[in-house]
Amino acid sequence: MSKQAYEFNNSNPNATVLRRLDPMVIEKPRAPIHIHTYGGETPFFKGLTEGRLMATKCANGKCDPSGKEGYFHLPPRVYCPDCSEKMEWHDVTDLARRTAKVHTHITVERPGAFNRVPMPCELISVEIEGVATVIMSQLRGAKPEIGMPIQPEFNTTNPTFTILDLSWVPRR
Amino acid sequence: MIKFTNRNLAAPKQMRPVYVVAAGQSDFRKHYPEKKTEELCVEAFRMMALENNLKTSGIQELKGYIHSCYYGHFADHFGDQLLGESVIHDRLGLDPMGNVGIKTGGATGGSAMWMAANAIASGYSDCVLCMGWERMDEVDTWTGNHYISTAADKDFETELGHIYTGYYALMAQRYWKTFGKSAPSFRRTMSKIAVKNRGYACSNPFAQAPARISVEDVENSPIVADPLRFYDACLMSVGASCALLCDEETAYKLSDNPMRFWIAGGSHTLRTADRRHMEIPLLPNERDNKEIAKLYHELKGGDKGGGEKYPGFTGFLAARMAAHYAYEMTGIVDPITDLDLVELHDAFTISDIQTYEDIGIKPYSRGPEYIESGDAYLEVPRDGSFGKNLAGKRGRLPSNLSGGLIGCMHAVGATGIMQIAEVFWQLQNRWSYFHEREEMWTRFGKTKPKDFVNLQVPNAKRGLAISHAGVGSHVTCSILMHPSAVIKK
Ligand SMILES: [Zn+2]
Repeated sequence: MSKQAYEFNNSNPNATVLRRLDPMVIEKPRAPIHIHTYGGETPFFKGLTEGRLMATKCANGKCDPSGKEGYFHLPPRVYCPDCSEKMEWHDVTDLARRTAKVHTHITVERPGAFNRVPMPCELISVEIEGVATVIMSQLRGAKPEIGMPIQPEFNTTNPTFTILDLSWVPRR
Repeated sequence: MIKFTNRNLAAPKQMRPVYVVAAGQSDFRKHYPEKKTEELCVEAFRMMALENNLKTSGIQELKGYIHSCYYGHFADHFGDQLLGESVIHDRLGLDPMGNVGIKTGGATGGSAMWMAANAIASGYSDCVLCMGWERMDEVDTWTGNHYISTAADKDFETELGHIYTGYYALMAQRYWKTFGKSAPSFRRTMSKIAVKNRGYACSNPFAQAPARISVEDVENSPIVADPLRFYDACLMSVGASCALLCDEETAYKLSDNPMRFWIAGGSHTLRTADRRHMEIPLLPNERDNKEIAKLYHELKGGDKGGGEKYPGFTGFLAARMAAHYAYEMTGIVDPITDLDLVELHDAFTISDIQTYEDIGIKPYSRGPEYIESGDAYLEVPRDGSFGKNLAGKRGRLPSNLSGGLIGCMHAVGATGIMQIAEVFWQLQNRWSYFHEREEMWTRFGKTKPKDFVNLQVPNAKRGLAISHAGVGSHVTCSILMHPSAVIKK
């Protein structure tokens, strides 16, 4: 009656597995797929597949402080967080190659379900000169340290079309 | 927004006083197959209606007062039930009164109380129910971790391991290395919090994870995400909490001992990435303070700059904003002297320390002093973890006497309400009724421990509770005061 070895994430639609009689406990399997759009942030994800790091910047000279100070946003934003005008796209690959550093880091050993990053994963937050924000990403081929100079790498040969197409290595 | 006007920062107004009149909760467990979520909510409601010395003759008479309902339930995918609010509302038998669901991650309970209080303050309702619940035991831990990670940005963060603890740990690591200087003494302070909160949970019959452990046990527990270890982290729970809020007239019609209530909320970016550099908004006890001005100047790297950015990864701006609004509303200047107890959102020991700084218990970078001074204890432990001069002394502002999220529970939608319920019963001097009586323990199938400690704060008149979401996306700050101890008339 009750199944000893079981799998959650069971995709067999006919399976109703009784786990316990009193109180009565059953399994409810499902495996849904979501169709998801990157919309106006497409240039960023397309850029990764082409080996480019794309950021946005507010072009409104009256905007305080984003437009006036003219720094980049990464993750990019379609609209400016200060003046809500549309932002401009800029290629910051070279800037990142020259100035990126590890702001903070952590080693992930045990991921959640549906993870596709090889474990252990060195999770990092990345500081780049002239960028107001600190994007989260992964470091490959080294143990991170706060302040470590790094440069971006892109998965252009077999892209996943996700943020995983961006990673970082120690600056050469 | 990183620049504010006085309009942005204005003290929130209540158009009339708000009171907490009663509270109730279920017990909390990691797995709770014996009861459906609806049953747990009804049980919390029954406790609220029948065990708070209300002057009503029973549940039906009390239902005759309730005018609208505010429900906190965060994770639809965990509960596998959209519009769960409607299910609970029906089981409570409160149709056709209006109800609304509120969800702001870990701060869901606090946010539900915020909306409930506003309904009273505005005059919309004279008596409202606020109820929160969560069920996190339908999926295995891997799937659970994935579900939680969807509270991060799905395109820029979740793909990176599907593990929320990791995103949190990025901040912990930065605090640990900059303000904590990776020091063993700082690690020890974190461990003391884990010991304290699990210890207090031993005297709480509702609590899920009571334990008498040592700082060594914490420091030898497995690393979850460096520097966070197993014992540094909060629980995942099933359970429900609720509270009844009223205007003044209704409050005294229903109770002889209601408590004044104020609550305010702040927010900050979902992605840690988006935290931009800004000036530290100062709290009342930091303004016009030369020592603080000097300290904060030094934190930024002095005249040369290049030091720690604010809020960076070391502060929770949302908590600072919520405290700012709440202190402006109530006239609190120095939390340590103006308050008698606090319930903080100890999702992790390190974020607990960060919160001490955000809400002005200690200045930024000096959070550990709250623990090391002994002030965070009802009575400073005599186990050798504190010096002889402190051991056995009474702390000035005991924190998380419920056991908090580490020792009592984190049934997300209920958490913020549980904290307020605990503070409320403390101010009513009724902590013993809900924690000490033998019957409370047998009710939940437990045996009252031999080393039970009476944690009623003597003569408690004012308390605070912080409800906090994610990496700091939403925070509410609640203040409860005995009507005789209101500061700002
Ligand atoms: Zn702008």
